[in-house]
Amino acid sequence: MGDVVRASGLVKAYGVGAARRRVLDGASLEVGAGELVAVVGPSGSGKSTLLHVMAGLDRLDAGTIEVAGAPVHRLGERALTRLRRDEIGLVFQAFHLVPELTGAENVVLPARANGGGAAAAARARELIEHLGLAEAAGRRPAELSGGEQQRLAIARALVNEPALVLADEPTGNLDDEAGAGVLALLRSVATGGRAVVLVTHDARAGAVADRTLRLMEGQLRSEPPA
Amino acid sequence: MRRAAALAFARLRARPARTALAALGIAAAGAMAGAALAVSVGLATGFDRAADRADLPDVIARFDNARTPAFVDRRVRALPDIAARSFRFELNNVHLSGNEHRTGQGSLEVLVAGKRRGYTVVAGRDVSNRRGGEVVIERGLADQFGLGVGDKLHIGQLTTHVVGIAVGPDNVAFPLARAARVYIPSGPLEQRFGAAPVNVAELWLHDPSKLDEVLTQARAVAYGLHDLRFITRGGVRATLDQAAGLIVALLSAFALVTLAAAALMLATSASAEVQRRLRTIGVQRALGFSRAQVTLQHAVEGALVAAPAALAGVALGVLAAGGPAGDLLATLNELPPGPALLPWLAAAVAAMVAVVGGASAWPAWRAAGRPATEIMRGGDLARARRTRPRRGGAGGGYFALGARLAGARRGRLLATVAALGAAVAVVLLMLSLATLLDRLKQDPALLGRRYQLTVAGDLATRDLIAGVPGVAAVGERYQVDGVDAFALGSPVRLIAYPGDHTRFESPPLARGRRVAASNEAEVGQGLAQALGLDLGATLAVELQGGEARFRVVGIDRALDNEGRIAYVQPPRVVRADPALTPALAVRLTTDADPNKVVARLTALGAPPQRAGGATTSNAAFLGVLADVLRVLAGLTAVVCLYALVQGLALTARERRTTVAVLRATGAGRREIASLFAGAAVAAVVPALLVGVAVHQWVLAPAVADLAAGYADLPIGAGALELTVVALGLAALGLGAAAWMTRRAGREPVVAGLREE
Repeated sequence: MGDVVRASGLVKAYGVGAARRRVLDGASLEVGAGELVAVVGPSGSGKSTLLHVMAGLDRLDAGTIEVAGAPVHRLGERALTRLRRDEIGLVFQAFHLVPELTGAENVVLPARANGGGAAAAARARELIEHLGLAEAAGRRPAELSGGEQQRLAIARALVNEPALVLADEPTGNLDDEAGAGVLALLRSVATGGRAVVLVTHDARAGAVADRTLRLMEGQLRSEPPA
Repeated sequence: MRRAAALAFARLRARPARTALAALGIAAAGAMAGAALAVSVGLATGFDRAADRADLPDVIARFDNARTPAFVDRRVRALPDIAARSFRFELNNVHLSGNEHRTGQGSLEVLVAGKRRGYTVVAGRDVSNRRGGEVVIERGLADQFGLGVGDKLHIGQLTTHVVGIAVGPDNVAFPLARAARVYIPSGPLEQRFGAAPVNVAELWLHDPSKLDEVLTQARAVAYGLHDLRFITRGGVRATLDQAAGLIVALLSAFALVTLAAAALMLATSASAEVQRRLRTIGVQRALGFSRAQVTLQHAVEGALVAAPAALAGVALGVLAAGGPAGDLLATLNELPPGPALLPWLAAAVAAMVAVVGGASAWPAWRAAGRPATEIMRGGDLARARRTRPRRGGAGGGYFALGARLAGARRGRLLATVAALGAAVAVVLLMLSLATLLDRLKQDPALLGRRYQLTVAGDLATRDLIAGVPGVAAVGERYQVDGVDAFALGSPVRLIAYPGDHTRFESPPLARGRRVAASNEAEVGQGLAQALGLDLGATLAVELQGGEARFRVVGIDRALDNEGRIAYVQPPRVVRADPALTPALAVRLTTDADPNKVVARLTALGAPPQRAGGATTSNAAFLGVLADVLRVLAGLTAVVCLYALVQGLALTARERRTTVAVLRATGAGRREIASLFAGAAVAAVVPALLVGVAVHQWVLAPAVADLAAGYADLPIGAGALELTVVALGLAALGLGAAAWMTRRAGREPVVAGLREE
């Protein structure tokens, strides 16, 4: 199994002068296809920043990242957009579904950027069926539960068949039952052959993850298996 | 109040970009208002201002046989109520040359007696009666010849120096007027040639309301003066109205529409600002701010932005429109309003500040009246309606998504559509007016004329002309200008054809019937309104040799001569003015080539003239009007752009997270551009439909009615105007979308994701 993510010596700092703080300070990480890695740590430790630099949403101060063989740290905006479109799926804590669109329309949206027409719609339908979201697909986000919304958001992240799924606190806005369902779903996504990086406070994440890393003082350290 | 102002200042400083955007919109509306005021106030008050400053006489009497000043003075002294008098000798068709320009249409005005001039010197000084070689020239001549004070002007063989430039508002300016007037003192001439004669008397009355009595008396005592003609101050106004009255009325009507559109846009903009701050209002209410405090704060904040922006915008509008409006006034021999415009501008700025303050305060008052928790949860000033999701399909892509995002805020979309629609309607109106100007200039059919050519001179050629291929009909046409015998200051134009005049001129009949006998007249609605004529009334016209009376049997929607026209049959006209000779009106067949007919008639020795429109006399005048319309159209386009950008900016601001998520999930610049284009189209397409509908069914008929209740004016938009506006609006929409895409692309994606 080849590495989908290869990150080394990541440095990212915020603030200026005396207030300047390195939230990533030499962190390194490899994630293989079919692997689910959970990144835990206290609030403000830089977990979301780690995801953002991996997705090319934020720029590194130093270090290198490769995603699916592409050097994220060197790519321009256009190439990064293409990389996110083709190789990366993002899942957010607040779901971020477009409120005017139905569940199905939200799922297929990234495929539109990929030039997907009927094939994308078919793939979205397939995903919706597979994830048991047929009922939610015809409704708007405001009419859905948090769990349904997050599962639709995961379906959206998968519609372009990315190599890497990055999930930022996906259970943060969910109750226990819904959270457990989302974690199980991410596990199955990884089992399906994709690399999954999960940033979370959720203690149950360790149970579904292949590895758990703790982000402390800007560095990633392995946690003992749960 | 001070606390509210301090808070308002702090909030404005915290959001400089948004404040600048709001200020830009207010400035754009201010520019519209300023331009509209500069044009309409200038034109509406121009004549009175110039007449007052020039001390225009109440009556100007002209006669053909020049007499001695003493002779004329004896006649004048016999008149009642005369406050002052001045005499001139007027010599026409004088050759003028200077600064490498020349004309044979000079009018030499020798100032023989009297201190009051009837013109005002706008540069340099007046002529001195003691010094020779001095001349004051009219402004139109100075502009055309490029002459200034100190330059040389040759009057025939006489070399003079220009000592002053004057405006004489008793006629329009050269070259709109046929003659270019120059004024010289009589003193130096009299030293060489003896006493100067007089053929023009200017009279000022103690009581101008006694004008009719004076004129009646003047006719009684004017023996020895041939071909006596009077021009009154009211008559001058009517003459100027004939030159520009229709256009002035249209521009004034446009100014009203523009001001209404500006007010609507300001109200929309201010309301949108409050909409954005609903959560803040909720927090303020939760912290104990009273409803009145919240409202006052928003009103003050709106006023703080509006005052400088409105001031700058109004100033910009005045500057932009001032040039063309000044040219227009100069063409009409009128003076720009100068400081007299300031109260109007101050009122406009105050009104704009009040509109913005009020439009900010009202939604804030409404919002602050709702429970704080409800406001803090966000939402609209008006509750959003639940809509059913569309079935099937997957949303139609980013373009459709953009349209749906814009449509999700119905109130705002409606306001944007309303502001854009109003602007579209105004632009269509201006373009239609420009087309109308062209048609008035070129298309005789617009005036009800069915003949295309006229031939002056020998009536014996009539049968020859009738035999020319392409000629459908030839008829004698008499035209003469007189004054109403009951109101001597009111000009009347009589058009006479033997038999049925509708073969050659057929203005739409509003009421009554066509002329069937020599004692009958059809009058234009303009004349009917001016003289209070109705069916059955008597029209008495004073002509050179006497009076001609007719019974009004029909009222026409005639546009020619501002509707101050009457169609009659020749016998009574010829009896009252025996010297009158007709021209031949030539109507062509529908398939005739006018150029070929003109060539054949010329070969016959009867060179024809083409029948023109209402304002054929001066293309430059129409060009000046077109400039005014272009400036106003440009300002309106800026308003369109602002309304679009503001609508899109609000959508982008509210959907910052959505845009960030779309970018995070792989949407590139093209997809985001498509999103904003969809949002722009959601406003542009309905705005275009609304604008067209408002123009066709509301503005055009209303303006036509305002401008010329006496005529049918085709101000409807044609295919060209609609295409230009549609393409222009599409370009503005694309421009606004591109700008918003650029702005959105500059923002880091994570900034939008953190918004939640």
